[in-house]
Amino acid sequence: MDFSIVWEHLFLVFMSVLFSLIIGLPLGVLAYLKAPIRKIILWIVEVLQTIPALALLGLIMIVFGAGKLTVIIGLVLYSLLPIVHNTYIGLQGVDSGIKEAGKGMGLTQMDRLISIEIPLAFPMIFTGIRIATITTIGAAIFATSVGGGGLGSVIYRGIRTQNMDLILFGTLALMIMAIFFDILMTWVNKHLEKQV
Amino acid sequence: MIRFENVRKQYGDNIVLKDISFHIEPGEFVVLIGPSGCGKTTTLKSINRLIVPEGGKIYVDGKDISKIDPVQLRRGIGYVIQQIGLFPNMTIEQNIGVVPKRLDYSKEEITKITKDLMKMVGMDYDQYANKYPSQLSGGQQQRIGVLRALAASPPIVLMDEPFGALDPMTRTVLQKEILSLQKKLKKTIVFVTHDMDEALDLADKIIFMNEGNIAQIASPEEMLNNPASDMIRDFMRNTSISAERLDLTAGDFTKSDVVTAYKDKSIRAATDIMARNKIDSLVIKNDDGTYAGVVTIKAIRRHGKSTGTIGDLKPYENITASIKEDAKKTFDKFYDSPDNFIVVLNEDNTVAGFITKSSMAIAMADTLWGDM
Repeated sequence: MDFSIVWEHLFLVFMSVLFSLIIGLPLGVLAYLKAPIRKIILWIVEVLQTIPALALLGLIMIVFGAGKLTVIIGLVLYSLLPIVHNTYIGLQGVDSGIKEAGKGMGLTQMDRLISIEIPLAFPMIFTGIRIATITTIGAAIFATSVGGGGLGSVIYRGIRTQNMDLILFGTLALMIMAIFFDILMTWVNKHLEKQV
Repeated sequence: MIRFENVRKQYGDNIVLKDISFHIEPGEFVVLIGPSGCGKTTTLKSINRLIVPEGGKIYVDGKDISKIDPVQLRRGIGYVIQQIGLFPNMTIEQNIGVVPKRLDYSKEEITKITKDLMKMVGMDYDQYANKYPSQLSGGQQQRIGVLRALAASPPIVLMDEPFGALDPMTRTVLQKEILSLQKKLKKTIVFVTHDMDEALDLADKIIFMNEGNIAQIASPEEMLNNPASDMIRDFMRNTSISAERLDLTAGDFTKSDVVTAYKDKSIRAATDIMARNKIDSLVIKNDDGTYAGVVTIKAIRRHGKSTGTIGDLKPYENITASIKEDAKKTFDKFYDSPDNFIVVLNEDNTVAGFITKSSMAIAMADTLWGDM
């Protein structure tokens, strides 16, 4: 058994969620601040997630060719929805009295976002990150179809060669990974909520 | 200090302010009052540009506020709201320091301001400064809300029903505190409420609004004595809850499950009744059902014999009240009496029931805090 493939899988997930966060957080904030483009942003990220992951990767491969870059771009687009959505919902859900107090006391919009609204929305945003992480762990098995490696390759090889050990190794590793991150991040989330 | 000139605001076809004009002197405590939808909150929020009117001019300190950057304007005007709106992710000291910090006060200055302000409302700095808002009671939170508005010493403080969500006891305490703060600090305060009692207690000047117009501007005394319209008169009557409660009579607090006995009951039977009901006194009635007095277990023991009727005992003259009597009078009388209960009599002198000290306490709590 080759454990480096587990790390490869984790690397794909980590990079995807990271970039998804870098793009998704500002998009979520934008959706919150600018009512006119809110619908468009939320619609786009929703549509992106309805495209089957494999099909999405195939499409991206046409442009970027096979490889890890294609995988990461695909997974980023795929995991945008929970992050954008939860950022928007979290910010929207901050108590209106708190927002009004901030505004009425002369805090600028940016100041209110950074010192009050994002900290208060963070548990909700973090829930989005958790959902994105878990779905990406699953979706990343398609990486192998576009030459991205990861645990998907182990499972596919196992299926092709009727090797039960390989299939079991791949599946178990995925399950443990997903459960581990879910438990860990749920725990972190509880602590975040307690603070706010 | 603040001047409105023909200020008009509408949302679609709905005109919320119709050419409002008034002015507020420095150091004045002005209360905006009126039924919901009268435009009082809109008026208040136009002062710090949370709402921008369509027409007219608003001057603060002689300057047209539409020409001032809203952020700068707001930092010079304190703002307190009903929802309190403390920032839950910041400590009490950080909350109070929000505006000073943005005006580049030093950390030491902010700590000093926080200490001084907390002292004024009797909150211990060491105990509370590093707590988070959720660790404080509602009343304490709104105290901090007020202090936060005062922290950068703005000459003007706007308050939008600041005590509306607090229980009446806390509200009264905070009203007193805000008055003493106002005396000390000489702020110009604009205060919105729908509670006439609050307006009468706090205001130097009341601006009564109705349907987007100013119905009357007057001092509390003037408004009480000469309300400009029936509408204002009715409003003052309806919101004044305490006045309404004065109409209560002793009958409203009477418990009717009183244990009575006729004079011709034997003493043995009377003690049986008392034992069964676990009471130490019995209300005695004459043959015609009128009240005769009270017999206590002590009196029976002193009598020494268990033969004869309770009519043979000299009844104790317990304190009584008429059922129609004003409850306050009854309570005063009862409060001064050594008796454990007061017998309430119908107009024909028959026994209606009784009031105990505990039912009096519950009744008084009700008038203070509303129905429990």
